[in-house]
Amino acid sequence: MPHYPAIEVLDLIKTYKGADEPALNGVSLIVPEGEIFGLLGPNGAGKTTTINILCGILKATAGSVKVSGWESRQNGEEIKHIIGVVPQDIALYPSLTAHENLHFIGSMYGLKGKQLKERVNQCMSMFGLEKYGNRLIRTYSGGMKRRINLIAGILHQPRILFLDEPTVGIDVQSRTVIIDYLKQLNSEGTTIIYSSHYMEEAELLCSSIAIIDQGKIITQGRPLEMIGSQPGYTNLESIFLIITGRKLRDH
Amino acid sequence: MNRLLASIKKEFLILVRDWAGLGLIFLMPMVLVLVMTLIQDASFRKLDETKITLLYLDEDHDTLGIEVKNGLEKAEYFEVITRLADRELDEKAVLGQVAQGNYQIGIVIRKGSTDAIRARGQQMVQQNIFGPDAPAVADTTMKARIIIYYDPAMKNSFRLTVRNALEVFTSKIEAGIMFQALSAELAQYLPDPPAPVSGPGSSISYEEIYATDAFTEIIPNSVQHNVPAWTIFAMFFIIIPLTGNLIKERESGLATRLLVMPGNQFQVLGAKVTVYVMVGLVQFILMLILGKMLLPLFDLPSLVLGPEKLALFLMALATTLAATGYSVLVGTVARTHDQAAVFGMVSVIILAAIGGIWVPVFMMPNLMQATSIISPLNWSLDGFYQILLRGGGIREIVSNLAALFVFYIITLTAAIWVSSRRVRM
Repeated sequence: MPHYPAIEVLDLIKTYKGADEPALNGVSLIVPEGEIFGLLGPNGAGKTTTINILCGILKATAGSVKVSGWESRQNGEEIKHIIGVVPQDIALYPSLTAHENLHFIGSMYGLKGKQLKERVNQCMSMFGLEKYGNRLIRTYSGGMKRRINLIAGILHQPRILFLDEPTVGIDVQSRTVIIDYLKQLNSEGTTIIYSSHYMEEAELLCSSIAIIDQGKIITQGRPLEMIGSQPGYTNLESIFLIITGRKLRDH
Repeated sequence: MNRLLASIKKEFLILVRDWAGLGLIFLMPMVLVLVMTLIQDASFRKLDETKITLLYLDEDHDTLGIEVKNGLEKAEYFEVITRLADRELDEKAVLGQVAQGNYQIGIVIRKGSTDAIRARGQQMVQQNIFGPDAPAVADTTMKARIIIYYDPAMKNSFRLTVRNALEVFTSKIEAGIMFQALSAELAQYLPDPPAPVSGPGSSISYEEIYATDAFTEIIPNSVQHNVPAWTIFAMFFIIIPLTGNLIKERESGLATRLLVMPGNQFQVLGAKVTVYVMVGLVQFILMLILGKMLLPLFDLPSLVLGPEKLALFLMALATTLAATGYSVLVGTVARTHDQAAVFGMVSVIILAAIGGIWVPVFMMPNLMQATSIISPLNWSLDGFYQILLRGGGIREIVSNLAALFVFYIITLTAAIWVSSRRVRM
């Protein structure tokens, strides 16, 4: 069985309707299987647009996208089965319990019966939420919602997991649980595509990164190799600031 | 199939946990039907079931004045007041009381009115016997005069009803007086005059029958009209919770999650349609129960369903499908909750008004009558009236069912198209 990279993107261009400038202007990148790949960039750089195109939420204006060898334009439905998505928003039904939300999401991925029930219970206890399965989501704290949001993306055990700012606005404890779990998931073979503003977190988690700005990939590589490779490159945050500048980005 | 069932279960749970939405869907329409039926009941009842208090001033003091008063008193729908508590009536008092809105109508029979009618009768006899040049035996320039004062706040249709009723029995009295005058005049020229008679009785009788060649148990009344009309209105009001559901899903990122999961827009929207169609059918059943069991407790007639139960069910199904399709389209096109709520509510009210829910189509001006055919609420109302008022069955409502079903298909297809375009642009 041939081994395809998890993600292959070539000359990706995306221009939103009515926009003067393209949001993505020739993005190309390859993410091999088993990586934790960080897509970093300032606000409006094109991170979410890139992830949305990779997940099939948005159509690219030009360029090609392959996910595990599947061409995204032709094989959208096949790709949906092998990817998991954890959006930045808490995309859960607030008037349903955690169990009801997860049973619905699991059913959409074809899980059913005992298998579904066991998987939901397993994930809930993995994130310390086993006691709260029958509580409505709207009664959860921010950290608990983030954890359920993550469970919703991994319930069907995807080969590739996309995370858009998965730890935004939560306490250190919840963040640590999430980061530890992502590392464990990656060690089991899941490729993780991750976007964040937290450089420290990316440095800790990612095996490779790409910095995107104004719709273009400015640099990419392994954080450990990048740090110290040039004067001033003391950590990921300093590299980020040197490359993208200190000017405020208002988009 | 598993995905569709899971989506239906999810939609059902969201619905039953939304107490405000449930109230809007089930309770408010029941209150609406009850209130509107009670309010409109009076206009469907016979006039004699409501009393109108009127001031009556008889300056004639003769046959016309006396008989009009007797006639008004005999007609059960008038309460005749001939004097105020503290004083006798005069024309100024009548005018003042009606102008202030204390009474809705004031009637004054002018002095000499009976004499004027008699004079005309006498003159007619003279002209018949002696020709057009017969000498005048009475002053025929005089006319019987009845003055009617109306409260300016009175509705025009009500004024015309009162005027017509008054004209009908004053013309009878006039005919009676003239006939007596003719008899008396003719008696002078006959050698053996017959005993005077009071006047001719009516030789015409009226039979009022509601034209239907089918079920005869149905009697058109406020319940038969209002229950289907306001039920349709309520069914279309699911636009508020359904558009809210769609927009909440979009704003919270749930729509995006649904998009990255296996399945398609048809399954997502299909689940919503299934649940809200069931809601529409439950609404309909509740309205039937209300019409049959609750409205009679308020002294209203009980709803008569007739024998065409299947036709009724199909009509309800087609209506709720059309309402759901329209709601899904509005919820998909609207960008914000406020946009959807305001546009949805106002558009349903306009479609209801055009469709004859508020005012029957036949009472509208020609332009609005022609416009009414664009409203799906009109197609539905016409279908229900075919069954509940004209005793029709499935054959009579085929075109209504087809129109509503096509409307549903078009709106749902448009919603799916807009939805898939919007998220992937």
